[in-house]
Amino acid sequence: MHRILIVEDSPTMRSLLSASLEEMPLPTKIFEAENGFEALRFLPREEFDLVVTDINMPDINGLELVSFIKKNERYASLPLVIVSTEGSDRDREKGMALGADAYLVKPVDPESLREVVADLLTARSAPSAEG
Amino acid sequence: MAARRSKRKGAQSSDPPSSKTSASDGAAAPNDSDKREFLSEAGEILESMLGDLSELREQDRASTEVDPDLINRIFRSAHSFKGLAGMFELDEISELSHRLEDILDGLRLGKISLDSPAVALLDEGVSLLATLTAGLDVKTASSASSEGKARELADRIERVISSPVTLPGEDLDGLSLDASLLGALTEYEEHRLRESIRRGRHVVMVDAAFEILDFEEGLVRLSEAAREVGELISTLPSPGDSPESEIRFSLLVATELDAGELSGRAGFEIAQIQWVSGQTASPAPNEEASPTSEEEASPAPDRASLGSFRSVGETVRVDIRKLDELMNLVGELVIQRDAIGGVAQKLLGETQTIRIGSELAKTHKMLDRKLRELQTGVLDVRMVPLRQIFEKLSRVVRRLRRDLDKEVSLEFVGADTELDKLIVERLIDPLVHVVRNAFDHALESPSERVQAGKDPEGCIRVSAFQRGNHVVIEVRDDGRGMDADAILRKAIERGLISEKDSPSHKEILNLVCEAGLSTAESISSTSGRGVGMDIVQSNLAELGGMVDLDSTRGAGTTVTITLPITLAIIQALLVGVEEETFAIPLNSVLETLVVEPGEIGHSEGREILNLRGEPLLLRRLSDEFEIESGGRDARQFAVVLGLGEHRLGLLVDRLEGQQDTVIKPIKGPFQKFRGIAGATELGHRGAILVIDVSSIVGDAVRRREAA
Amino acid sequence: MSGLDGGIGDASDWEGIAREAALGLRGDGRVEPASVRELLVFHLDATAYALPVDCVREIVRLRELTKVPRAPSWLLGILALRGEVVEVIDLRSRLGLGASRLDRSNRVVVCRGAEDRVSGLVVDGVTEVYRASEDLLRPASGLDVTMVSEICLRDDQFVSLLDFERLLGLEDV
Repeated sequence: MHRILIVEDSPTMRSLLSASLEEMPLPTKIFEAENGFEALRFLPREEFDLVVTDINMPDINGLELVSFIKKNERYASLPLVIVSTEGSDRDREKGMALGADAYLVKPVDPESLREVVADLLTARSAPSAEG
Repeated sequence: MAARRSKRKGAQSSDPPSSKTSASDGAAAPNDSDKREFLSEAGEILESMLGDLSELREQDRASTEVDPDLINRIFRSAHSFKGLAGMFELDEISELSHRLEDILDGLRLGKISLDSPAVALLDEGVSLLATLTAGLDVKTASSASSEGKARELADRIERVISSPVTLPGEDLDGLSLDASLLGALTEYEEHRLRESIRRGRHVVMVDAAFEILDFEEGLVRLSEAAREVGELISTLPSPGDSPESEIRFSLLVATELDAGELSGRAGFEIAQIQWVSGQTASPAPNEEASPTSEEEASPAPDRASLGSFRSVGETVRVDIRKLDELMNLVGELVIQRDAIGGVAQKLLGETQTIRIGSELAKTHKMLDRKLRELQTGVLDVRMVPLRQIFEKLSRVVRRLRRDLDKEVSLEFVGADTELDKLIVERLIDPLVHVVRNAFDHALESPSERVQAGKDPEGCIRVSAFQRGNHVVIEVRDDGRGMDADAILRKAIERGLISEKDSPSHKEILNLVCEAGLSTAESISSTSGRGVGMDIVQSNLAELGGMVDLDSTRGAGTTVTITLPITLAIIQALLVGVEEETFAIPLNSVLETLVVEPGEIGHSEGREILNLRGEPLLLRRLSDEFEIESGGRDARQFAVVLGLGEHRLGLLVDRLEGQQDTVIKPIKGPFQKFRGIAGATELGHRGAILVIDVSSIVGDAVRRREAA
Repeated sequence: MSGLDGGIGDASDWEGIAREAALGLRGDGRVEPASVRELLVFHLDATAYALPVDCVREIVRLRELTKVPRAPSWLLGILALRGEVVEVIDLRSRLGLGASRLDRSNRVVVCRGAEDRVSGLVVDGVTEVYRASEDLLRPASGLDVTMVSEICLRDDQFVSLLDFERLLGLEDV
């Protein structure tokens, strides 16, 4: 069972992201956080296998969340997928520089999202992971 | 900079996060319920955008520095809106909101100034978005032209924005900021940082550590403190010293205060303050951080404002439909509880089963208690303070103030008064209407007012308070008042009353709520009220409420709206007329009386009762519902109904007890029920009609019967 | 599936018919070819009428209805049914054929249309669920009755297929 955390402040987007991921061929349990604070609260409580996050959120933005996750020994190996708008090339660069694994542009194509997430999840659970 | 409430949505509970297990049904394609979600979220976003835009214009006009948080907020609204529309493949809407987002992004990043012609297009753009969104539900003939206009506007915006100027960036490398911190700032946050330095503000890093499972409260307090002294540019989380139990937050703050002022400031005791620029860029002497003492907050006067800030954050957004379902469930449980009670009684009645009966009766009592608690709890969830409506009214008046040349001060009293969420949602339109009426028609222009010896600035006061089982909302203005003579003349002209009638002053004023009258143009300009009041009244009647007008020529008008506190589960009084039973909502019942035929008096063609020295207007339920009634000679019961200031004694044959009920709508082709609020189910007795107190009382009060 | 019974619904038949109507709704896995329509056939005196089985929610005996004051004559009253309160209409009267004389043999056909519109129709009796192939149906143009959408041939009888939405749609008859 793969546990995925979605961090996105727009409720409609959140439920659409959720719905897209529920369609995956892999068994998944999806958790939703409305903002960075919630994500920070959920992280210590569950063993997540992947995090999907928006960038533009109030208070704690997605980049800060990524930075926190990567700095933290416990979560550093979590695959991170950033979902955000096209306009910010700089934000995308920063996101990847901070250690995110993938960057998808909104509106997200459900198929692409599923592919990316599936790849990251299977790579993670494969015994000889890094290549 | 003043403390600002950041608009935060989010469930803040310590419960495990919401989760969904993978299901094999349902694609990610939007369906009807998604569309509803979209429309409701879209509506909210547009709502706040309009309000914020008008706020923006005001701030700009006052030529103080425009609050960057405000611009950012509008930007984020446009951004969310664009994303929303994109997911549903609403091309025109998405395209247009994309352009608007571009304008706002340019604004917040300093690439466009507020004087740019593009900014003027924002208003037009948002209005168009609203039209297009509304058109989604109902395709009208004008939808196609709106779409065309949207595309046109989008093109126009694109041309105007074309090549934005990138301001030379301040060098951020010279700051004593950790590179990793800089790396996590978004483009916008970087811009705010540069801007702050450019304006000569001091930039500080406020560091504090909290317990990982419970950091919210402390962090919120710290953020508030930061906002009070300046601009909170960024909040960066990092692992604490013991990452398993601690989490550290670094707040990047721009402020005009200096070291001395800052370190002594309330709210910062738990933090380490590090100067990033503007000072000597070296740590100033300050307090030690105490990682786990976020609980000991200073007894600062900030507490009060922090308290209200927290209550904004501690809310959950709930779909009204879910509340209704909950309410219905509780209602069904109540019916079952009563059925169990009935069985217990039966068992108690027989000697063989008396022991089991008493056990059941005990359990029933417990169930009853718990169920009442549940009922109260669920009802409580539905209760919502009127504050949100007041905020909306403020925005409405602000907009009107701009468009018309009148000065007005808007006062609110009783924002904490609570009402059922369902009622509040449906109250917004009629209330906005009433306030708008007051502004448009009742208030005179400043010069007129001065001539009349009044303050040039008019005053509209909206006050709300609870009175027993009702909530009363008063909208009072000090405008020109209503012209009773003109109204009376028009009413006679329209055949609403005859020349022989002699209505009282209030009765004349309330005529304005009659359909035949309130649409009259001439009435509205002279009477100072009236346009659409019939709709306001019918809207309120649907909620079980009523509206009442009072006015003094030249001095002002008061519109009083009375509403029941909740629509959901109510206690009802069961009454009988001939062979039928009806239910009357108990919260409108003041008392019940026994009435002998000889006690009924007459006055001006109406039956009345002398009740402790005052005449009580009577109405026979058999007359109201055209039920063949045997005797006017038998003893009857009078159920004294109260609604607002009106009293009516409803005459019935029997009183049949009380019952908890859920009022349900009557489903079917015929909907023009008069005097009936719905129906309820009473165990094996089947459906019982529930009386609509407001229309029965209203009708009786307005009725003029020939002598 | 019942055969082409043609019986005038007596108490024993009725349970079976109701069950069938319900089965039709729930979809017990049978895949109907698109060209077959399932109709619930009922009657007023000897004239047969029908409604698509999809819109029939249940069939109940006529019990005591709660009267509604100042209601039109075709609205017989209201009935509490599974947590809802539903209007019960005299079909005969609604079709302009005069008022019904009601007794225990009447049945109430409870129908649900678009947008949660529900209503109960009082009929003299319910006959059966009839599976009519498309070629047995033809449009009802030329007839005066506005609430009949099609005519269906059943054995040697004509059955008027009613349009439920139109039945409900007219507010003031």
